[in-house]
Amino acid sequence: MEIKSRKARWSAIALSTGLVLTATGVATPAQAAEKKLTIGFVVHVIGNPFINQIIDGAKAAAKDLKITLKVTGPAGAEGDAQLTAVQNLAAAGVDGIATSVPSASMMKGLNAVIKAGTPIVQFNGFVDGVNAPYVGEKSVESGRLLGKMVLDKIGGASAKGDVIIGNCFPGFPVLENRSKGVQESLAKAPGIKIIGPSDVKVDAAANFAAWQGLLAANPKALAMVGLCAPDVESIGKVNAAVAGSKTIGAGYDLTTGNLAALQNGTAHISLGQTPFIQGYLPVYMLVDSIRNKIKINKAGFINAGTEIVTATSVIEPFGSAPLTFAKLQKMSASPSATRLYYDKIVKGYIKDWQKNLKPIADESA
Amino acid sequence: MSQRASTKSRRFRFPEETSVIFALLLLVAIVGFLRPTFLKPENLLNLAASYSISALLAGCIVYLLSMGEIDLSFGWILNLSAVIAGISMIAGVPIWIAIILGILAGTAMGAINGFLTVVMRLPLIIVTLGTASVYQGISLISNKSGSVVPTDKKITSNVFFRSLGGDIDTPIPFILIFVVLAFVVLHLTLHKTRFGYRILAIGSNPEAARLAGIPTKQTKILVCGLMGFVSGIGGVLFLGFRGAVDPTTGANLLLPVVAAAIIGGTPLSGGAGTVWGSLYGALIVGVIGVGVVFLGINAVWSTLVTGLVILFAIGVDQIVRVRKNRAG
Repeated sequence: MEIKSRKARWSAIALSTGLVLTATGVATPAQAAEKKLTIGFVVHVIGNPFINQIIDGAKAAAKDLKITLKVTGPAGAEGDAQLTAVQNLAAAGVDGIATSVPSASMMKGLNAVIKAGTPIVQFNGFVDGVNAPYVGEKSVESGRLLGKMVLDKIGGASAKGDVIIGNCFPGFPVLENRSKGVQESLAKAPGIKIIGPSDVKVDAAANFAAWQGLLAANPKALAMVGLCAPDVESIGKVNAAVAGSKTIGAGYDLTTGNLAALQNGTAHISLGQTPFIQGYLPVYMLVDSIRNKIKINKAGFINAGTEIVTATSVIEPFGSAPLTFAKLQKMSASPSATRLYYDKIVKGYIKDWQKNLKPIADESA
Repeated sequence: MSQRASTKSRRFRFPEETSVIFALLLLVAIVGFLRPTFLKPENLLNLAASYSISALLAGCIVYLLSMGEIDLSFGWILNLSAVIAGISMIAGVPIWIAIILGILAGTAMGAINGFLTVVMRLPLIIVTLGTASVYQGISLISNKSGSVVPTDKKITSNVFFRSLGGDIDTPIPFILIFVVLAFVVLHLTLHKTRFGYRILAIGSNPEAARLAGIPTKQTKILVCGLMGFVSGIGGVLFLGFRGAVDPTTGANLLLPVVAAAIIGGTPLSGGAGTVWGSLYGALIVGVIGVGVVFLGINAVWSTLVTGLVILFAIGVDQIVRVRKNRAG
């Protein structure tokens, strides 16, 4: 009996150690001899389709630049857990870290990491006061653009009725900026009444339920405008469930589900924020600055651009090659096709990142 | 012969937390063996500091678990306490008064939980399902769904922010020293005072405790108030440590805090609890979190690996516990 339990104990320890060793992929002597840069990439939530597209961009950069990329992030968006991940990566000795910054409470900790010598680039979400450049969209401006497109669809300045706005993450600065921009544009039609912004949650099921409830409560709404990645797909499903619904659906991001909603006509406008550039550029900036000893320890902004997509047109930023809706759909599910499409951007806009670095105030201009 | 062995084992009685300490050391050894930089003292201290607030909450939730109850609202009590303290500071209230206001608000929220539990005769878990949303909602309204960031130099240069935020260099982070002292107090209160014995008696058998003359209702309200008090302290510590509080602060504390207490050896069934065990449990949760990053485990795999390692730690703990009981 005694021998049996000892065997079981050592088997359990060996199995668990083996699992950890297998998952980490311990470096071989040959790998260790070839010293590579290691970049940490910290996202604010794992398992989100839009975030996965950003991660794919970062992985493409890692492959092109022949570096090691360590991707991590909390399962649920929470600044403190994310800051801890950044601090752990710095302590583990990575050469640089790209991180989204969803919370003001991360600022002090991030600046301490920068001060200790690990360069940081922010992407997708930033906080004022962090001594690091930021790669992302011009959030207020993209909101204005979305608001204008919605307004055009519902009758322009003479439109009268309700427009529902949903925010999946109240308080997230970039989303608040988008909301501000949308409302600025809609304010040009005095007959429009804004419903919300309501908290529509980030989880896909809760997001759908929230939009369903909002439309049920406001069945005559002219439009539903979401500010986050899950919204367009949810709005599409909600519209599809209501026979003869004429409510315009609009929102952000070009995930496979969102594009399907545009294609089948249940949603109408989705703005992309070039996740490829948001993933690729921060990694490129870190590697370039480390290899060429360029200091990046101050705030700045590089516009990742805005993509404007409807079922009939696709407009990509920075003079990219024309793109059809079908090709965009293929790209949304294929990291290699995306990398190929953005080759011109990689060799131009991204390579020249220092020229494109602007003051951080430009982000919310 | 067997009598002699029995006397010997009685003489060498290991503390209750031996098994969880062993599991913790084993995890540290595994991560340290694979990535030696992990064992740098500054890394270990920073790790402990990062997880100190959740450890503090775990130390207090042991009281509730020992009483056979569980609170789902403490993360939002922490959030709202920090928001109240932060907003008060920004409004010009003297810093130390603002801190006391935050802690008092936390205590009041905890006591409200306890009062509702007693008055409605419902388990605390059900009451706090509702109050968690109430406290979150008040917090969102108070901070206008944004972050509360005291930026005035007069505030940030105060010794409270400078000491907790790491601007004053000390060999051991202030927050860690504070939390260890708090654990001494929490341990002594649970195991060496009449109040502590009453909690354990209620958790063991509420009816017998009542018949024995223990004021069960008052004790419940007091323990809930204590949980609110400690959450309030956690909130102001967070504000000082990070320099800001976000709308999401505290949202994801429930699982790691309860897991730390349970991994530490406090049963869900009530009647027993170990405050020190919860500290080691919190450190296990922390080492797993840090280890996943240090070992470069892919984000997609990290949740699975975290779960497996928690099972491993619980398994090692259980093996040592069973062996110890057999020996005893």
